[in-house]
Amino acid sequence: MSATVMDNPLRAGVRLERTADPCTVIIFGATGDLTKRKLVPALYRLVQERLVPGEFAVVGAARSEMGHDDFRAKMKDAVAQFSEAKRVDEEVWDSFAQGLYYLPVNIDSPDDYKKLSDLLDQIDRERGTQGNRVFYLSTAPALYAEAVKQLGQSGLVNQEKGWRRVIIEKPFGTDLATAKQLNRDIHEHLEESQIYRIDHYLGKETVQNLMIFRFANGIYEPLWNRQYIDHVQITNAETVGVEGRGGYYDKAGVVRDMIQNHVFQVLSHVVMEPPASLGAEAVRDEKIKAMMSARPFTAERVRNECVRGQYGAGSINGKPVPGYREEEGVPKDSTTETFAMVTMRFDNWRWSGVPFYIRSGKRLAKRVTEVAIQFKDAPHQLFGREMMEQVAPNQLVIRIQPDEGITLRFGAKVPGQVTRIRDVNMDFRYGASFGVQLAEAYERLLLDCILGDPTLYARTDMTERGWEIVMPILEEWAATKAEAPFPNYEAGSWGPQATHDLLASQGRRWRRP
Amino acid sequence: METQTHNSSAAVSVSGIDVGKLEKELAAMWQPAKNEDGTVAEAGTTRVCVLNLIVYAAQQEDRAEIDQLLDEVTEQTPGRSIILVADRDSADAKLEAYVSTRCQTSSRGAKQVCGEQITIEASGPVIETVSTAIEPLLMPDMPVFLWWKDIPHYEDKLFNRLVGLADRVVIDSLAFDHPHEDLLRLAEIIRTNPQFMLVSDLNWGRMTAWRSLVASFWDVDDYRPLLDQIDTVIVEYDPPDVAHSAIAPQALLIIGWLASRLGWQFLGQAPHSDGQTTHFTLQALGGREVKIELRALPDREGRDGWLASLTLRATQAGAEFRVAMNEAGTKLETEARIGDAHHVERVVAYEQKTEGQRLSRELGLLLRDRIYEAAVTAAAQLLAALSQS
Repeated sequence: MSATVMDNPLRAGVRLERTADPCTVIIFGATGDLTKRKLVPALYRLVQERLVPGEFAVVGAARSEMGHDDFRAKMKDAVAQFSEAKRVDEEVWDSFAQGLYYLPVNIDSPDDYKKLSDLLDQIDRERGTQGNRVFYLSTAPALYAEAVKQLGQSGLVNQEKGWRRVIIEKPFGTDLATAKQLNRDIHEHLEESQIYRIDHYLGKETVQNLMIFRFANGIYEPLWNRQYIDHVQITNAETVGVEGRGGYYDKAGVVRDMIQNHVFQVLSHVVMEPPASLGAEAVRDEKIKAMMSARPFTAERVRNECVRGQYGAGSINGKPVPGYREEEGVPKDSTTETFAMVTMRFDNWRWSGVPFYIRSGKRLAKRVTEVAIQFKDAPHQLFGREMMEQVAPNQLVIRIQPDEGITLRFGAKVPGQVTRIRDVNMDFRYGASFGVQLAEAYERLLLDCILGDPTLYARTDMTERGWEIVMPILEEWAATKAEAPFPNYEAGSWGPQATHDLLASQGRRWRRP
Repeated sequence: METQTHNSSAAVSVSGIDVGKLEKELAAMWQPAKNEDGTVAEAGTTRVCVLNLIVYAAQQEDRAEIDQLLDEVTEQTPGRSIILVADRDSADAKLEAYVSTRCQTSSRGAKQVCGEQITIEASGPVIETVSTAIEPLLMPDMPVFLWWKDIPHYEDKLFNRLVGLADRVVIDSLAFDHPHEDLLRLAEIIRTNPQFMLVSDLNWGRMTAWRSLVASFWDVDDYRPLLDQIDTVIVEYDPPDVAHSAIAPQALLIIGWLASRLGWQFLGQAPHSDGQTTHFTLQALGGREVKIELRALPDREGRDGWLASLTLRATQAGAEFRVAMNEAGTKLETEARIGDAHHVERVVAYEQKTEGQRLSRELGLLLRDRIYEAAVTAAAQLLAALSQS
């Protein structure tokens, strides 16, 4: 909560939601998909929910020539199509649209930033937005550094007249070197406290619930270590293919696209130590500390503990789908991985000896993201080996999407005259326990930025650490791409057989999500 | 979504309720349904319990309203509901109980959110002791809410005993039969025995959006200094349905809230009223006078007891801040004006919540609401002065 809100005597009380300072949100790349699908619907919802004040405005900026009214009309259609409610409240929209503007901007044109500055000053005067600004970079990633440079040189991120923050979309670099260069470039013009690197996974309710689950309950944390946990499985599976983004995806692959950012963010919540407070820096310090203890990948570890895959033709939900190399924009001889399994190990007191198996891929059997904590067997098999072989070890599964919830599996006696044991699941589902719609990740994250809370955004060190961890994998796979036996899994399966063989060789097996 | 209920036969006994039998019947209701061949016909239902809710109904006729209310409550806060239908007019001793489950189902027929319900019908002398039958039926160690719309005007043993079981009592000051007397009695309970009950008021919940919008004016740095220059507050309201000449509790509570938060004191200057408008004078820190006008509007259908507008003025600065509800009661319009140079307006949706949804929201609150208590106390000071003038 910002200091200004604390100073308002009418803001106290358990019912009143936090609200933000007056401000203007400027979206670069305002004609893109993200703006219409996520950003403007989320901003409209924040207005509707009274989470931003009346002194609020949104400016769309992109290359296309367009007037304010054209932009307003397009955004109204977008809200009607993509908002959760799929409809627009006319009166609320009209009020929101009064503060909605558009300005044609070439990212590298200083003159255009002058025009933008003039427009923002005018909005400050007319709408009382007080010089506070969020710049949202939703452009092509190659333009991030140029946009920040121009913002810096034009004085738009100077904080003398109100706070200035910049949200940067993923991907943050394409490898460690480009991520470091991008950090250097943006730090020339921005303080770290002004930079909000967005990872929409962190805005998901269930990822936030990982912290609550671990640190607001007394019973789990004592078990959350190598003494009781055998291993952890993280599955991040998509059923979709490249969805018309073949050109981009073929240069990226699943490790760049999903693992080094989204999956590592989820992972860091699982492995981190309890923070000293819920302050942004305290939480982010613990996350980076945990990730710093990740054992580096060597070429040998990549060969023995990681698996890459690329899907061939198959079927999803009974419908035939083409293989990756038949997708639009993908070279016929592509060696880009659409599936990766990596085994992470953390060399610290809590996790020493506990493998973290991570798999992520496209065109898998089911869309699911989950963390499964597999506990060790009971130390003594009191009920006999045969009996115990019928039951699996205790497992705690935290489902992040879809069907968010938590399941605990344990053995129970089957009623009867003889002793028989069966696995049962104790299931908590958000949908069945709280009949409320979970907030959209972008709503939460945009509001956090406006409130000046970067807890759910990635810090410089975390973005670079993610790349540091995966670079040896990417380099080894690039060096041996000729050996990649692609395609090596059928669309609609759970990935290459080698992933199952790898776990089997360690006496374990993948859970079926 | 639609609601399915499964009912048991009554577990009848005038000498007491068979708790074991009721629990057994409830347990059976959670079993998955089976086909004739013994196979499971539908997936078992997840039992979720986040609270106990005791609902008091003064008559059978209230049941339909309560059923509808619980359908919505179950969807958001599944738990165990115990409905007590107390027929105080009957001399016959009667104590009956039966159980049912209440499930919200999706359009595909799958059960999604289920809660369980025990209905107790009591009459005659049994009513005074029925709380002892309710206590063993509460889910262990889960919060207990009592939904008793009104504040009894007299010493009511049943009310007191049920309050003793409850962590929180939910009332609705919009439904007060005697708004002024009931508010004064509530303030008296808060003043003399604050530990007796923690209160949730649905009417206070209805005003959250109002308070949030008023507060948001002063989240803006440039407006903040004007908060110390407010000298006039005008509240427009629709009179309560049952007591047309009374000031609506919403109007009193919003003034009570402003006064308690901003340190405005009532210093004994006699209020006066012309029947439609009541005038009070409060004193802010530093001795500044704050004139309060509470204006009753001509009656509008469906809006009895609701706020219509709130205007705060800092006359010397030429500033006015206003929140008003539109004619349809669906939107709140805000306006901040400082002189001729600065004027910001906006429209936001007013939460279209049903009573059940409002009740659900109250059931999510467990902390003492000291802001509400202070607002009630300040409102009661105005009422006391008004009754003496």
